[in-house]
Amino acid sequence: MSGRDDVGPGDEIPAWTMPFVDPARMRTMAAILRDPYPVHWDRAGNAALGLPGRVINQGPLNLGYIVNMLLAWAGPSCVRRLTVSFGRPVLDGDEVTAGGRVSSLAVVDGERRATCEVWLDRDGEHVVTGTAVVVLDGR
Amino acid sequence: MDVPTGLTETQLHSLVGHRFAGGRYRIEHWENWLLTECTGREPLPDRLVHPIVLFHVPILGVGTSITELFALGGVAGAGSVGLEGYDWEYFRPLVEDVEYRMEGGIVAAERVTDDTGRVVDKLAFEISLFDTDDQIAARITNRWVLRR
Repeated sequence: MSGRDDVGPGDEIPAWTMPFVDPARMRTMAAILRDPYPVHWDRAGNAALGLPGRVINQGPLNLGYIVNMLLAWAGPSCVRRLTVSFGRPVLDGDEVTAGGRVSSLAVVDGERRATCEVWLDRDGEHVVTGTAVVVLDGR
Repeated sequence: MDVPTGLTETQLHSLVGHRFAGGRYRIEHWENWLLTECTGREPLPDRLVHPIVLFHVPILGVGTSITELFALGGVAGAGSVGLEGYDWEYFRPLVEDVEYRMEGGIVAAERVTDDTGRVVDKLAFEISLFDTDDQIAARITNRWVLRR
């Protein structure tokens, strides 16, 4: 990719979908993060949270789907800043879709950057929302 | 730091200014490969690491852990910790097999009433990553919600 000269405010970023949030990936992620918090792998224990038989996806993975959308759109080293808030939990078996829209453009440190509104949706509801700054001149 | 489960508001506020030990971390290829696969995409080119590496690498590299952060906040058990938000800045591409130096600490702690009327504590920590030439490569601020 040689850059995105045609980008402007209001443009939609192509969506990125994770069709099945996989509990096996949560277990791998828990090991990588050295995260002993059982909500990510103990289905029985989550009954006390009102989630019997379900496990909760890690926040970084939810953000990862948004990042994957940005990388597919603007290149593998495009991300300059991510500012996100987490709403409702994402559970195993969910289908989630990352989306985004360009808010503004600016040149910073010699780079042409886009500030984008980003989100992660499940069943049409935002479960993560935030802002991403990406460089448009990268690969 | 020895903190009992269930902090008083004074104890909570005293966490601000706590500095982590500091340290270094090298992101190895296998770790980046698995992390990236968990997000559902193929590895990035040129030894680039997936941007979500900024969750666990700063925590481990600065010399703390999720377990210690929970203990500092005086919480334990399912449902006791929630994510409020992240603010992650990338000043340089992060790559595999480079030893990054890290420093940071707790920057905010407050007791608030949430939308449901429940009293919760909010804790924020900031960690910076420095490249081998000691220039800043990334900085994170993570905000957690601690439920008593």
